[in-house]
Amino acid sequence: MTVLRGVTLGAQPWLRRPDRVIGDPLLLLAAVLIGGVGLLSLQGATRIEDGGLSDDVARQSAFLAVGGVVILVMRRVDYRLLKLAWFPILTLWIGMLALVLVAGATEFGARRWFLVGNYSLQPSEFARIATVIAIAAVASSRDATPRGFVFLLLGFLIPAGLILIEPDLGSTLALAAAWLALMVAWPLSLRGLWAIAATAVAFVPLAFALAVPGYQRERLAVFLDPQRDPLGSGFVLRQVEVALGSGGVTGRGLEFGVSALEGLSTRNSDFALAQVGEQMGLLGTLTVLVAFAIIAWRGLAIAESAPDRFGQLLAVGLTALLVVQALLHVAVNIRLFPATGIPLPLISLGGSSMIATAAMIGLLLSIAARRQADPLERWTAARWD
Amino acid sequence: MTELPVNLRFLALRLSVIAIITLLGVQLVRMQLVSPVPAPPLATGDQPRILLSDASRGLIYDRNGTPLVTNVPSYVLRIVPAALPADQTDRQIALVTIERESGVPVATLEAATRQPLALIDPTAPIEVGTLPDVTEAIRLRAVLAAIPGVEITATPQRMYLGGELVAHFIGHVGAIDATDVETYLKNGYPLNATVGRSGLELVFEEPLRGEPTRRLVVADPSGRVLSDLSELASRPGADIELSIDMDLQRVTADALNAAIEAGLPDEVPGRAPPTRVAAAVAIDVRTGEVLAQVSLPSFDPNVLNDGDRPALEALLRDPTRPLVDRTYMEAHPPGSTFKTLVAYAALEEDVATPETKVTSTGAIYIQDEFDPSVTYVFRDWAAHGTTDLYWGLARSSDVYFYYLSGGYRSGGVTYFEGLGATRLADYAQQIGLGTPTGLELPGETGGLVPSPDWKEQAVGDAWFLGDTYTFGIGQGYLTVSPMQMAILVSAIANDGSVLQPRLVRGIRESDELVETPRIVAAQLSNEGDSLAVIREAMRITAGPGGTAWRGQPKGLTIGGKTGTAEFGSPYPDGEFDTHGWYIGFAPFEDPEIAVAVYVEHGIGSTHAGPVARTMFEEYFNLSETAP
Repeated sequence: MTVLRGVTLGAQPWLRRPDRVIGDPLLLLAAVLIGGVGLLSLQGATRIEDGGLSDDVARQSAFLAVGGVVILVMRRVDYRLLKLAWFPILTLWIGMLALVLVAGATEFGARRWFLVGNYSLQPSEFARIATVIAIAAVASSRDATPRGFVFLLLGFLIPAGLILIEPDLGSTLALAAAWLALMVAWPLSLRGLWAIAATAVAFVPLAFALAVPGYQRERLAVFLDPQRDPLGSGFVLRQVEVALGSGGVTGRGLEFGVSALEGLSTRNSDFALAQVGEQMGLLGTLTVLVAFAIIAWRGLAIAESAPDRFGQLLAVGLTALLVVQALLHVAVNIRLFPATGIPLPLISLGGSSMIATAAMIGLLLSIAARRQADPLERWTAARWD
Repeated sequence: MTELPVNLRFLALRLSVIAIITLLGVQLVRMQLVSPVPAPPLATGDQPRILLSDASRGLIYDRNGTPLVTNVPSYVLRIVPAALPADQTDRQIALVTIERESGVPVATLEAATRQPLALIDPTAPIEVGTLPDVTEAIRLRAVLAAIPGVEITATPQRMYLGGELVAHFIGHVGAIDATDVETYLKNGYPLNATVGRSGLELVFEEPLRGEPTRRLVVADPSGRVLSDLSELASRPGADIELSIDMDLQRVTADALNAAIEAGLPDEVPGRAPPTRVAAAVAIDVRTGEVLAQVSLPSFDPNVLNDGDRPALEALLRDPTRPLVDRTYMEAHPPGSTFKTLVAYAALEEDVATPETKVTSTGAIYIQDEFDPSVTYVFRDWAAHGTTDLYWGLARSSDVYFYYLSGGYRSGGVTYFEGLGATRLADYAQQIGLGTPTGLELPGETGGLVPSPDWKEQAVGDAWFLGDTYTFGIGQGYLTVSPMQMAILVSAIANDGSVLQPRLVRGIRESDELVETPRIVAAQLSNEGDSLAVIREAMRITAGPGGTAWRGQPKGLTIGGKTGTAEFGSPYPDGEFDTHGWYIGFAPFEDPEIAVAVYVEHGIGSTHAGPVARTMFEEYFNLSETAP
């Protein structure tokens, strides 16, 4: 047994091996499936002629490997530690968000990244997790009173506002959805939920007038009428439609002629699903969609059977954050939502997104590993014991 | 108001997820299965495509920042047939005006408008002439401004400032060769690209090229750009910094030219005329950087670029083959310079000590093993008397090295146990002979290190003691390139690191020099400091009374060794033509530079030695003390 500074590690409750090795095999399997599809798609899109691996594939494989380690570590750590540490965690990441606005690197007109050598770190990915942890921690120790609500609203608005002015609308929306799901599960009174809904409806036109930058308005206009600028920003949307359409049911394969997405710098990130659709067809896109549905189903199941209220709220928030981001990405790709640059978790090229997603999955597994047995588990245990 | 219990709230969350996912799934099915948006039909034409325009190609400098290759604009006059006036009279007037102003005859212009490409695509500009300079380009632009369909454009062209001095390794650029088209197209080159065709231009094509500008445009079927969609900026090509010192390069070339003249034998009727060929290499023994690399005869690199057919054909037909770089593409017997390695191998294998004494009476006599009545004679170039290893090398006693390599047996008694051909070949290979040095240039020869096994297979004959003797004095089958000899001397000078030579010190990209690493190809054993013994012997060789004294400048102590290897067919008097070699390093105490000099017709001491001395003088700035 490992001994560190005279403390027997195994005796510490938060490091004690949980009852289950893999908290939720199905959740993990779905994540691995999505990651595999993404790597395959990237290899097809960036293939190089001598048959070797492209730099992008090498990087993404490295990120996947790091993500795997993050999952293994996070699921082993007792998530209840986070409840004690929510304040420093949130402060740290709000600080990072503020710092990136001042000292971050500018790309595509947005300040979202820190450049660390060859890599870039996108703090908003981690700040959103920190916010969910903080909301879950506070909500789990307070009753759903109006005072508590105001507190939780502030805890959400500060990081969300910082992310919104980067600007990163997609990340902000995913965080807002996670916050809303947390409010539903808290449980905030129905009256409170109605109030949120009413405020949101009232605010949309105001926010559009005040805070939505010109390019977002243009995107919205183009979204509503793609023929408005067929060779400008409308071009991208048309090419994305063509890519999905030409993929058909079974796809054009990983190696084919010129992709409809050729030349789009965001084909491996913001339009990753369209790329999967072109290569692997409807089978590929539905596989990804179903895999995220499985993550949603398992995430909510983990929440319901969580051993404590913090675990329950944390599972709801993380699941919502992860799944809503994926669904937003899909919605943008299939023209159900205006174009906003939002990566598809586990598929889009990028280290910050990959590691943040892995951390979320690891935390969900950590909660799952400590939950009471559910019917499915009892059934499988009976089968295999 | 009644509150929803938590389990119903979870149900609500689940239902909303299911609803959204169903909505997304339906839309996916609609877009991919039910009513996919078709790709725009090719027939009607407008297509997104990517246009490339090359970034400015990187420049090449020597180690002191002297530019060797640069880009200059080349001004080209083009006409666009479709844009010329349609009316016959107006058209004639336009063509005559072009002729009067530019000097391009109307007939040429007419022919250009009727050439196949012009008939297929009359909107494509066709080159009709080049302009001498920018002034002329500006003048023509002004006077021809009124005529539609005339274009004067500037395209970058390579200019080789280093000229003949560095022509061999700099290389040249040109159109893509038919056999390589596939490879280049796969790597994203357009068909009409200009690429590196030889030398460093070829080897460092990738960094020199940089990233071309990529414009995503919508174009109609004729290629006309309808609109710009996006543009990825270019990254200019990286500059290359060579380890070559142009001053040393120039001085070396001059000295080699003088050596060629001095060593050239008289022409004899009925014999192939002697060739004016020589080569020299200088290497930094600490790093493997090539400081000078000269091969003569050379050529004007601009001939390869200009498309001057007659000059190019003359160059290709030249019997002295100026395009071949003699420093690394060809190998010749190294003669007595090889004795340095034999002596080192003998010390390492305890075949000899520095005090081992051998007497040379001017020849060695060997009885045939099977027929004692037959005696073979292996001559020495002089009767040296009794010498130890230092003076055996200093006087270049052949008999001494017959002993070290093949030993000496007479009447069934072994008087001296030699290395034997196999062990000697092993040592030769360890120091890099027989394989290319790994210089970053295409077409390097490895030379040949013979061995009994090799001879049996390649020549089909058994290996005799005489072969070992000839091997031991660096003649016969053994061949090496001057580059390999420079590496050999470097390894002796730097205590046994066989370095990989490199011409490129580093690649400079956005003001940051990425240095080429020092690579040690092999590390020699050095028991009992036998390399120090060899260095001491080479110091004596280059001193008074040694054969290599002509390589030593005043005011500097060096180590040196000459070589004079016979080749070709004998003259009527039994003498042969000889290659002259000189290898050396300096300063003796703390070696910095190693040189290898090869003169195709000449004597090591008389002709190659002075070249080495001149190189040392230039490197150590001793020229003012030279006579």
